[in-house]
Amino acid sequence: MRQLAAGFRMTPPQTALGLKPMLSRRMFLGALLATGAARAFGDAARLTFAQVRHTGRWDPRPDGLGRLAWEISKRTSIETNPVVKPLGLADPDLFHYPFAVLSSDAALPVLADAEVAALRRYLSYGGFLFLDDASGARGGGFDGSARELISRVVPGGSLAKVPREHVLYKSFYLLDGPSGRTATSPDLEGVELGGRLAVLYSANDLVGAFARDSLGTWEFEVVPGGEAQREKAIRLGVNIAMYALCLDYKEDQVHIPFIMKRRRI
Amino acid sequence: MNPYNAWRLTSLSTLPAWALALAACGLAAAVFLSFRGFRSEPRKSRRAALLGWRILAALLLFTLLLEPGLELRAESRVRARIAVLIDTSKSMKFPAAPGGPSRAEEMLRWLKDKQKELGALAGRFQVDVYSFDKELQPADLTKLLAAPGDSQGPSTDILAALSGAAGAGTGGRPLAGLLIASDGADNAELESGLSPAAAGELHKLGAPIFALPIGAQSLKDLAVEKVSVDDFAFVRTQVTVDVTLSARGFPATDVPVVLKRDGQVVAQKVVHVDGDQPRVDVKLSFVPDRTGKFAFTVSVPVYDGEALAQNNQKSFVLKVIRDRVRVLLVVGRPSWDVRFLRQLLKRDANVDLISFFILRTPGDDPHTSSQDELSLIPFPTQEIFQEQLKTFDLVIFQNFNHRPYRMSQYLDGIAAYVRDGGAFAMIGGDQSFSSGDYSGTPIEEILPLRLLSPGSPGVDESQVQLKLSAAGVRHPVTELLPGKAENAAAWEKLPRLPGLNTIADSKPGAQVLLTGQDGRPVLVVGEAGRGRVLALTTDSSWMWSFVAAGQELGPRAYETFWHGAIRWLVRDPALTPMRVTAERPSFDPGEMPALDAQVRGSDYGAAAGAQVTVALSSADDPLPKKAGSATANAEGSARIPLQALPPGAYKAVVTARRADGTPVGETEEAFVVASASPELLNATPRPELLQAIATATGGRVIDASDDLTRLSFRDPERVEVGQRTTRPLWDTWMVLAALCIVVGLEWTLRRRWGYA
Repeated sequence: MRQLAAGFRMTPPQTALGLKPMLSRRMFLGALLATGAARAFGDAARLTFAQVRHTGRWDPRPDGLGRLAWEISKRTSIETNPVVKPLGLADPDLFHYPFAVLSSDAALPVLADAEVAALRRYLSYGGFLFLDDASGARGGGFDGSARELISRVVPGGSLAKVPREHVLYKSFYLLDGPSGRTATSPDLEGVELGGRLAVLYSANDLVGAFARDSLGTWEFEVVPGGEAQREKAIRLGVNIAMYALCLDYKEDQVHIPFIMKRRRI
Repeated sequence: MNPYNAWRLTSLSTLPAWALALAACGLAAAVFLSFRGFRSEPRKSRRAALLGWRILAALLLFTLLLEPGLELRAESRVRARIAVLIDTSKSMKFPAAPGGPSRAEEMLRWLKDKQKELGALAGRFQVDVYSFDKELQPADLTKLLAAPGDSQGPSTDILAALSGAAGAGTGGRPLAGLLIASDGADNAELESGLSPAAAGELHKLGAPIFALPIGAQSLKDLAVEKVSVDDFAFVRTQVTVDVTLSARGFPATDVPVVLKRDGQVVAQKVVHVDGDQPRVDVKLSFVPDRTGKFAFTVSVPVYDGEALAQNNQKSFVLKVIRDRVRVLLVVGRPSWDVRFLRQLLKRDANVDLISFFILRTPGDDPHTSSQDELSLIPFPTQEIFQEQLKTFDLVIFQNFNHRPYRMSQYLDGIAAYVRDGGAFAMIGGDQSFSSGDYSGTPIEEILPLRLLSPGSPGVDESQVQLKLSAAGVRHPVTELLPGKAENAAAWEKLPRLPGLNTIADSKPGAQVLLTGQDGRPVLVVGEAGRGRVLALTTDSSWMWSFVAAGQELGPRAYETFWHGAIRWLVRDPALTPMRVTAERPSFDPGEMPALDAQVRGSDYGAAAGAQVTVALSSADDPLPKKAGSATANAEGSARIPLQALPPGAYKAVVTARRADGTPVGETEEAFVVASASPELLNATPRPELLQAIATATGGRVIDASDDLTRLSFRDPERVEVGQRTTRPLWDTWMVLAALCIVVGLEWTLRRRWGYA
């Protein structure tokens, strides 16, 4: 890539200070907002994560998505909004945020029919839903309830393994598989609607790998791979966001020879 | 005076032949039976007398039944016919020899020379003169020589002419022979030579044919005999034109075959021709780079001594359409606006989408020093903006700032591409319009709006309620629903936009189709040269899809808008404000071509009263010249008649202006002026055909010096009966009386000599 005017980029606070990531959450958000507001047409142009509010533990990793937004913004040209928007499925405002995250570390509560219908509409008109099992445990309550929810939202549909050749694994980083705070499942699962992945499910507590505490230190240990696994998780998070915004762009013919060459290395 | 000079015996009986035959048999049986009765008569004289009388009686009875009579006839001897056939087809207008008199003049000279000989033949035969081309017509030789007509026959059918002339005689005159003078350039049944069936048909005429080939001397000719190509082709897809050359009397030569469009060479090939191979096929391929109707010409050089120069080129019209709209989408940054537009374009089977998204800028830190861990590729600016640019129907810059990619050098090329008929759309965002550093660049020159100078605030974040402008009410880009009120309401219902790019103002001639409630332009369209440009000053049109879907409006508005916008940008024929079609793709020389125009105004209503003007150019005369004009009627239609044009491929640039001189639109049409007549397409003399015809009928080919009176015509004798009458030879009562006497005498003798 050729160079771009630096004025359009956010200055990552940690590199500016030359420190390890030790920034407080408030300072971090403030820095983002101060630089972002002057450029874009409000939040509509930026990637803002909507966190689906439900009657269970809907926000098990309160800082995770904000951190992911920051990482995306720092690593790619995507403009993000670090402030996550908590919204109920039946809230009409949900349609202002095409990227929704549904998470819990326990079984999801049974959603009302109206909420299921709203989610169906959301997905069929172009919305993207990321399901994150924050428990990171095999066969936990979230897994079963999420599958049941999907069977209600997509009649006749169910979660299916996302193949390793899927564009999701090459939308920005070239990845060889999923990652997260844990390594519970070797695969991501998803549901395709209209030729695109509309629902993506991670059983590995992906957002947990991004969460920091108020002092800016990583909130959870990443097992079993440690920091390398955390980096892979961040990269997967970046790829998911890139996929949501670019779809199968990296499968356009022009990219194929480059990607094949690098995959072989 | 007795008119009768001959007689013959005849029967006047009304009895049928079979009845007479039956009677004859009965009488013979009666004679035999009678003879059996007296064959034992010892006296020979008595036996003879009885038999003689019985035979005489039988004969008399038969005579009674036969009623013999005398037919008196006025007889005369009939002269046989000679049919002289004169070729009057158009090909006879060509020179008999290069630079010499026409074939028709050559033939006339021969006829004049042979007047005496024809007169001598008329003493022995009846000489019928015919002219022939497509049809056979009786002709008067004297008139023909005094005032020769113009050779205008649209085709030549020698076989039909010969058969017609052979069967046209009256009074059953026998055919002594046929004499035909022609160039042999048959384009009917004998086009591909004399088939055995045709030879058989000529043989059945039963008379020799003598043929005088006209123009046989000029055998050297190179012609573009046939050009085969589909009626339409797809843009950017190879088209192959099959050309058949015919070369007669040519020594081994390398001939360049050239295919031109509007005077520009698009394909050429060198082919080898020689005398052993009269026909050579050659394929010329090219890739049309834009849509429209174009006139092409295939040509070969005219060599010295060629019989015909006119057949060394052939023109045709090819309509180039697009199979899919090829769109280049250049994106400065992934966003929801990008994602929804890409999704829409990828789903559209009519769109071939090539996208380039800037996923990472130098300021981004992907936490790796190795490119091999990333799927990113370099932004191939030179390839797409220099080498491939013309292959796109539409270029979209979506929130894209050119400056970081050192693209200034390509902006001129992009502007030129648009002015040359391309299409360009700029979609808003914080890296677009004034914020994208386009102020003062060639891109600003083609945009339908003026930008703010660098340093001005490029974005206004106040919310925007959409409003359809007066120009937007009937424009196809903003037609979400039929009906003005419904359409305006549909736009106003759409979600508010979170902000707009700020611009100075729209340019004169541009059309602001959508504004905010405060009049800020949202959607502006215009034309740049022959291209079209669209400016959308928001980066949130995706909200017309997804947010609208959340408001129970559905995504239809977004899809309808973008499909309409793309169709308008790439000049989908259904949305063109001006349509012009030639009455036919090909006109004959001398014919007056006409163009039909349908003109709609900028509001897409009929442009009544618009002045429509046609400027014509051709490969030979590339400078457009005014060729005709007309005024559009109340329905916006106009027919523009043109003057008759010489053969060639023509491009018509048709412009429409309102009464006050303001332009309505401009479009192009192509047509060809070339003779569709086979006479002029292949007028090469064919003496070998005439030779074959003559040989098949026992005649021969003659030359101008041959004495016509010495030709071996058939001379069959035929007698014609002019008048006749019949007279009975025997009165019925006399025969009856003789019969009674003979029967009575025979009976008496029989009684006397002791027979019953």
